[in-house]
Amino acid sequence: MLRFPAVGRALSGAAKGSLAPSNSVRTQSRAAGTMVEVFVDGKPVEVEPGTTVLQACEKVGIQIPRFCYHERLSVAGNCRMCLVEIEKAPKPVAACAMPVMKGWNILTNSDKTRKAREGVMEFLLANHPLDCPICDQGGECDLQDQSMQFGSDRSRFTENKRAVEDKNIGPLIKTIMTRCIQCTRCVRFASEIAGVEDLGTTGRGNNLQIGTYVEKMFMSELSGNVIDICPVGALTSKPYAFTARPWETRKTESIDVLDAVGSNIVVSTRGGEVMRIMPRLNEDVNEEWISDKTRFAYDGLKRQRLTQPMVKDASGQLTATSWEDALTRVAGALQGAQGSEVAAIAGGLADAESLVALKDLLNRLNSDSLCTEELFPMDGAGTDLRSNYLLNTRIAGVEDSDVLLLVGTNPRYEAPLFNARIRKSWLHNELRVALVGRQVDLSYTYDHLGEESAVLQELASGTHPFCEVLRAAKRPMVVVGSSALQRADGAGILAAVSALAQNARASSGVDEGWKVLNVLHRVASQVAALDLGYKAGVEAIRNNPPKILYLLGADAGCITRADLPKDSLVIYQGHHGDVGAPMADIILPGAAYTEKNATYVNTEGRSQQTRIAVTAPGTAREDWQIIRALSELAGVALPYDTVDEVRSRLAEVSPNLTRYDDVEGANYFKQANELASAVDQTLLAAPLVPPQLTAKDFYMTDSISRSSQTMAKCVKAITEGASAVDEPSIC
Amino acid sequence: MFLSSAIRSAVSQTARQVRSLHRSAARAGAGGIFVHRDTADNNPDTPFEFTAENKKRIEAIISMYPLGHKQAATIPVLDLAQRQHGWLPISAMNKVAEVLEVAPMRVYEVATFYTMFLRQPVGKYFIQICTTTPCMLCNSDSILEALKTKLGIKVGETTPDKMFTLIEVECLGACVNAPMVQINDNYYEDLTAEDMDHIIDELKAGRVPPPGPRNGRFSCEPAGGLTSLTEPPPGPGVGVRADL
Amino acid sequence: MAEYVNIVRRALGQLGGHGGVRGFFVQLFRANDVKTGALIGVDKYGNKYFEDSKNYFFGRHRWVLYTTEMNGKNTMWEVDGSMVPAEWHRWLHCMTDDPPTTHPPVPRKFLAETHQFNVSATPQQYVPFSTTPKKIHEWVPPRAH
Repeated sequence: MLRFPAVGRALSGAAKGSLAPSNSVRTQSRAAGTMVEVFVDGKPVEVEPGTTVLQACEKVGIQIPRFCYHERLSVAGNCRMCLVEIEKAPKPVAACAMPVMKGWNILTNSDKTRKAREGVMEFLLANHPLDCPICDQGGECDLQDQSMQFGSDRSRFTENKRAVEDKNIGPLIKTIMTRCIQCTRCVRFASEIAGVEDLGTTGRGNNLQIGTYVEKMFMSELSGNVIDICPVGALTSKPYAFTARPWETRKTESIDVLDAVGSNIVVSTRGGEVMRIMPRLNEDVNEEWISDKTRFAYDGLKRQRLTQPMVKDASGQLTATSWEDALTRVAGALQGAQGSEVAAIAGGLADAESLVALKDLLNRLNSDSLCTEELFPMDGAGTDLRSNYLLNTRIAGVEDSDVLLLVGTNPRYEAPLFNARIRKSWLHNELRVALVGRQVDLSYTYDHLGEESAVLQELASGTHPFCEVLRAAKRPMVVVGSSALQRADGAGILAAVSALAQNARASSGVDEGWKVLNVLHRVASQVAALDLGYKAGVEAIRNNPPKILYLLGADAGCITRADLPKDSLVIYQGHHGDVGAPMADIILPGAAYTEKNATYVNTEGRSQQTRIAVTAPGTAREDWQIIRALSELAGVALPYDTVDEVRSRLAEVSPNLTRYDDVEGANYFKQANELASAVDQTLLAAPLVPPQLTAKDFYMTDSISRSSQTMAKCVKAITEGASAVDEPSIC
Repeated sequence: MFLSSAIRSAVSQTARQVRSLHRSAARAGAGGIFVHRDTADNNPDTPFEFTAENKKRIEAIISMYPLGHKQAATIPVLDLAQRQHGWLPISAMNKVAEVLEVAPMRVYEVATFYTMFLRQPVGKYFIQICTTTPCMLCNSDSILEALKTKLGIKVGETTPDKMFTLIEVECLGACVNAPMVQINDNYYEDLTAEDMDHIIDELKAGRVPPPGPRNGRFSCEPAGGLTSLTEPPPGPGVGVRADL
Repeated sequence: MAEYVNIVRRALGQLGGHGGVRGFFVQLFRANDVKTGALIGVDKYGNKYFEDSKNYFFGRHRWVLYTTEMNGKNTMWEVDGSMVPAEWHRWLHCMTDDPPTTHPPVPRKFLAETHQFNVSATPQQYVPFSTTPKKIHEWVPPRAH
């Protein structure tokens, strides 16, 4: 499979009427000037000065074969596959690195061009092993495809091939370095996108090899992306090794829910089993990268699953039962309960459909005790004003910002792709980053202002030295981590940050469309739950313990049996037996995110939908359907039978939830700031420490990734070294 | 007839295989593998620290490059480290990375690219003997033989007293003074086997013999004396019109 | 004329050769046939083996009348082809013309002392274990204490 996302982007850009989207750092930095006319195979095309030959060809829809060139990485120009002939030029030029000149006629299919490609291909294949039948890249290999398309039909090579020893760079990436064609895409990805300069080229000439030189793991939360950008089978996925071929799998376009970024993914399935997860292009969210947790936690979907309803028998042992039995018991209990005796807690993986169904069900039972596990300060404006809890500037907005203040967050592990955007902007746009909170490695440099909450008050009152920088900023941005707001003084912190953001906005003189205050969430369900009117935090339930507690995938363990009366009934609906299920009396098995058509809203307020890639295991069902069935048995039937009807109900409650792939802006900062001034402004002395500090804390954060063996291996490899999880490889 | 053609093709095939197996002469120091393996005398804990004098030199080197381009000083600083330690253990490369504030990998890349950076231990005197065609025609084989017998080591080895390391290299660019060897930074040229013995004896005695040609030449002038341009050069204005 | 007499004689023999009217009907319902022939032998379970190669074509000329009780199971109405023991199976299926009455089988240690029925489609049947890995590992709830 040739991956040419730039073409798709160019085409979509052309459809919108502008070829250079304003959010792209690269295109923006290019000087605007008069256009240059060049010809591609005689076809005239107007391009900006500085456009490369390859980009000019892409503009007219001609793809130049390439290995080392990748439009999100710097140009290396070392594979030579993109050689094309320029009319009247003595030698073919490398299209990826050569800027066009006025009046050039680029010949993309001349004899000379084709001969150059064939020659380069012969050199590349000289040292490439002929092990395509056992290579995991087979079927989606650029070298394979391009040698079919541009290579010679026979080999003249009779010498011995070079061999390179394989490297152990961790439990996620399998290396077969003999297959490497030294395109250095992985090296450039590691140093430019991931910000981890562990990979490099050692040696010279025929002995050049890619590696880490010393025994070392490739320690990055984005490391899996080198598998995608590797044009050959040198870097492949270790968990996916020898399991499936790309042409056997069915691809389903979906959304990741393991963090609040909502990365766009493609779920590859075969025979009702998720084989792997790959990124899908979305310029506004994840570009074309995904984090390692997103990519490799899928084996957690196959373990510790709840496959049939369970109830506690007389001895207190959970035993499997039928849906009729389980639902009748729950419905019976609900019927006998008075309004406030029923409460519900929604976990971090719950979708908007089930959230609205659960809310409707409890409302019909005269209860309004609906909480989310994730805490958010409810004082002041609380969650009433939507702009208070969103990443208002949006993920792509970081690229337009010039000063970024992070408060009590570690975006590298809370939202790796947001961090990749910050790094991109830091690298190409001179973004200045400052951090209040525990000093962590963010893969870029930043001003550490201290970890005490007093610093925040100084910043808010304008006495801190960094305020000078904020005042000078043209487009400031303040991002506060959700964990910082979950302290006892969360409301005070939000008020301080809000005041700080308001001051920065006032001094920058930026127009109304630019938003300064941002909240970075960590779980996928939170924004949808707050949009639907869930209360953030379980304090209300702890203070007023209900008789019946309904856990909708609540696995963070914020309520335990000890918080509830002895005779209370706990119902757990979810897909994994993790923290919530063992404390439940009745378990209703639900579907995980690859098994349902569901709506999730990411931290910037963008609603996106997952799609069914595989059927739910056993007798598990989609979550809103379970609640719908339950409502009927409880005598308060909910008025929707299909997912479309649920979504029209969602649109009634909050229309933005069904405007897919669109972000509904919110802009009530002034009001929020005024309301915030009413709350208690005193901050605790405790330092701002986000919960995920090092890579070790990144991998296992929710019920799916906690069940994943791959993620467990990652943690083990980090604590004990890569050799601790090394498995004997077959080839 | 069939048999003979089969044999012929087999022979030619084998000959080609042999050719492809050929490697340039074994290289101690810079050669070998391009990954690092921890050994007793080459591991991240190998003690290495720049001397105070060298620290000053590093500052001077870095000041030659524009601000924010410390990485440009990688090669000279690596060279400094090698001159201080004799060769480059992994700890020295890490130290260079630390001094230049770059990732260690960027230093490894440079150190593995250039063959004059020695990543394996070598003796105090690193003898590189040229055996490329011009030197070979001037009987560099006898020099090599003399070195081998004198030092009692083969090519690519180090003497047990860690004084001499002998390797064979390709052309060092002194063909006009062939045969020649390079010992550390010095070129010894126009050698005979006796000269070689003498040089080694001097080095063993702790003296560094003067570098340069050994046959009485000053530099690279013709060995048999000048054959052209023998008359003294004419002064300025020769052959110019009288009225100018 | 004589052949017609023969047919009538055989018919009468078949009608009366099974022990009266009751025996006739029992035979008819159990075996769906009332043919008579030479009794070649009886195995130790009581199955009787007959042969009549003169009046029946090859394939119908040897038959068995099953015993009414075998290995503790009432086989009056539930008869099964696997009730024929191995030594008689060869003769009955015309693999050999020598019945075990005249040519006793060579004793082998693998020959069963007591013939066993086929257990297919019964709970005793052999079920091979699955060799494919489980796609989904379900959660096992912790033991209550």
